[in-house]
Amino acid sequence: MIEWFDSNLVSILNGFAIGSLLFILAVGLSIVFGMMDVLNLAHGALFLVGAYLAWSLLSDGATWGGFLAALGIAALVGLLAGGVLSVMTEPLARRPILDQALLTLGVSLVVAEVLSIVYGNDALSVGAPPGLAESVSFLGRSYPAYRLALIGVGLVLAVVVYVVVERTSVGALVRASVADREMVSAMGIDNRKVKVAVLGIGSMLATVAGVLGAPVYGARPGLDDTILILALVVVVIGGLGSVKGAFVGAMVIGQVESLGRAVLPDLASFILFGTLALVLVLRPRGLFGPRKLAGT
Amino acid sequence: MALHGPFRGRLLGPLGAVALLSLTTACGGGSLGGDSGGGGEGGGGEGGGTIRVGLVIPQAGVYTPLGEDMQQGWDLWLEQNDGRMGDYEVETVVADEGEGPDTGVPAIQRLLQEEQVDVVVGIVNSATALGAAEQFTEAQKVLIVANAGAGAITGDAASPYVWRTSFTNAQVASAMGQHLAEEGVGPVYVMAPDYAAGQEVVAGFTEAFEAGGGTVAGQALTPFGTTQDYQPFLSGIRESGAAATFVFYSGAEAVSFVQQYDAFGLKDTVPLYGSGFLTEGSVLDAQGQSAVGVQTTLHYSTEIDNEANTAFVEAYQAAYDELPTVFGMTTYDTANVLADALAEAEGLSGDQLSAALDGLGEIEDSPRGPWSFTGQSPEQSIYLREVTDEGGTLINSVVTDLGSFAQPGS
Repeated sequence: MIEWFDSNLVSILNGFAIGSLLFILAVGLSIVFGMMDVLNLAHGALFLVGAYLAWSLLSDGATWGGFLAALGIAALVGLLAGGVLSVMTEPLARRPILDQALLTLGVSLVVAEVLSIVYGNDALSVGAPPGLAESVSFLGRSYPAYRLALIGVGLVLAVVVYVVVERTSVGALVRASVADREMVSAMGIDNRKVKVAVLGIGSMLATVAGVLGAPVYGARPGLDDTILILALVVVVIGGLGSVKGAFVGAMVIGQVESLGRAVLPDLASFILFGTLALVLVLRPRGLFGPRKLAGT
Repeated sequence: MALHGPFRGRLLGPLGAVALLSLTTACGGGSLGGDSGGGGEGGGGEGGGTIRVGLVIPQAGVYTPLGEDMQQGWDLWLEQNDGRMGDYEVETVVADEGEGPDTGVPAIQRLLQEEQVDVVVGIVNSATALGAAEQFTEAQKVLIVANAGAGAITGDAASPYVWRTSFTNAQVASAMGQHLAEEGVGPVYVMAPDYAAGQEVVAGFTEAFEAGGGTVAGQALTPFGTTQDYQPFLSGIRESGAAATFVFYSGAEAVSFVQQYDAFGLKDTVPLYGSGFLTEGSVLDAQGQSAVGVQTTLHYSTEIDNEANTAFVEAYQAAYDELPTVFGMTTYDTANVLADALAEAEGLSGDQLSAALDGLGEIEDSPRGPWSFTGQSPEQSIYLREVTDEGGTLINSVVTDLGSFAQPGS
C-alpha cells in the first residue's frame, strides 16, 4: 500500500493541479448555466483567448510583469465579452435553451477562426513566470513548480467564489433571481443587470483560466473544443450552478485524468467518459446538483 | 480523432473545402496567350500541352501548418522551373483535404471528376489516402502521395496508380530500432498516440529493436488528440526502469510531450529518442530548450550536406524567410520526380505516367540524397539527427547516415 502510494504520489499531486485549473475553468460555466440558464458554448473559446493573450505578452521571455498584465487584460476582456454575450443572448431568453447554445457555439467558431487567422495554426508554448519555471524536488521526484502554484491559486479562488455566492448580499441577489425572477424584479431590481454581471464574471473566469493554463497547455487551434468538453464534464458531474459541485467535480476529473490514467493506462481513452457515465447513472443531476433542474 | 475538434471539423471542414477549392494557374511569368480552352484532356499532351495537377493539402484543421509547408515547396519548384514540367505548362488546382477522409475524399473526387485533373499530388492524412486510392484505380489516374505514411498505401492496399515520395511510418521507426539495438542502450520504453500511425511506429520500432537483441521495458498508447497532460504516462516510464524512451508524436502533442518530459525531470535521466516528426518544423521552436539533445530518425534534415540540399535550403529561405521542413522538401521533390517522369512519359494517361515513374531508377538530385522507388515507395537513407542550439536557433543536426531503408515488408 505504502509502495503504491509512493509510486503514484506525483500523479495524485498532479491531479490536484489539473483539478484546480479545471475548477477555475468550470465554475464560470457552471454558474452561468445553473443560475442564468445560458449554456455558454463559447466558454472554451474564451479560455483560448486568454491563452493566446498570455502568449502575446510572454513570448519574448516570461516575466512577472507580463504575466500579471496578461491576467489583468484577460480579466477585462472576459468581462467585456461576457457583457456582449449577455446582450446577444437576451433576445433568445424566452426561447429554448438550445437556441442560445447554438448562438454561443457560433460565436465560439468565429472567435476560434479569428484567433487562427491572427496567431496562425502552429502550437505555441508559453513559459511560466520566473521562479515558477523550474522543477522542484517533491519527495525525491521532480515536479514543475508552476503546477504547485496552480493548486494554491485554485484553492484561493474556490474560497473567494464560494464566499461571494453563498455569503454576500450580491450572491444572495443572484441566487434569488435564479429562484424567482419575477419576484426579484417586483422588488425593483433589473434582473437583466444581474445576468450581465453573472455572464461577465463567468466569462472572466474563463479568460483568466486561459492565462493560468497557458504554461501547462500552451495555445493552439482546437484547444478550445478539448477544454470545453472537459469543462462540460466537470459541470455535469458536479451539478449545475453549484460552486461546491464544480469544485468537487473538478477535483474528481483531475484525479481521473491523472491518477486514473497512471493506474489504468490501457483504459486512458475511456476512463473520463466512463466516470461521467457512472455518475449519471447513480446521480443523474450530478453530485451536488439542484433537486429540481433549473428552469423547469 | 472523433473527439478532437468536433465542432469546427464538422461545420467548417466541408465549408472550407468548397470555399478553398481555388484554381491557380502557376506560371511564374504570367504569359498571356497560353490558355487553351479545356486543357485538361489527357490525349493532347504531345509537345507542349498543359498538365492539370491537383494539389491536395490541408488548409483547415490541425494539419494546416503542414499544408502551408507543402504549398510552399510546390510553389518554389514551379517558380524555379518557370511553371513548366518538361514540355507541359502546369496548371495547379489546389484542394483542401481538411482533417480527415470525411472532407478529404470528396475533395479528391471533385478534382478527378469536375476539375478533370491529370494527376494528383499531396495528401497528409493516411486515412484520406487510403479512402481515395480506389478512385484512382477506377479513373486510371496517378496519385503521388507526398506525406501520408501508412504502410498499407503502398502495401496491402497498393494500386498500380498510387505512388509515394515520402516515407512509411515503420520505415522511419525501424531505423531507430535497429540503431538503438546496435548501440545497446538497454531497455527502452515505447510511446505513441493511439491511432493507426502511432501503432505502426510502435510495431515497426519494436520489431526492429527486438530483432537486434533489445528489450522493450514497457509500452503506452496515449489517447490521440485528447491528451494534454502526459504526466500519468511519464510516471509509467519512471516506474518501468527504462534506460531510454522512444516516442512518436507530432504537432501540438509533440510540443506538450517534449516540454513535459523535461519538466518532470526525465530528460536528464532517461534519454529521449523519437521518430523525426517529434522535432520537425514549427514544433521545434515551441519546444525550445527542452528539445535540445533529443535524437530522432527521419529521411531528411535541413543540415544534410549535399549540393541539391544546400541549393534547396538557400532558395527556400530566400523565398519564405524560414527553414524548410520535411513536408516542404517532400512536395518540392515530388514536383521534381513528376517532371522527370513527364519527360519520359509518352502521354498523360495514368498507365503511361505509372510506367514512366517505374522507369525512373535512382533519383540523384533530391535534397534528401539519392533514393529510388521500391514497391512504389521510397528506398532512401534514414538519418540520425540530434537537436542542437546554434546561436539561438534550434536545428536538427545530422549525427550520421544510418543507411538505406526500403519500406518494411517490401
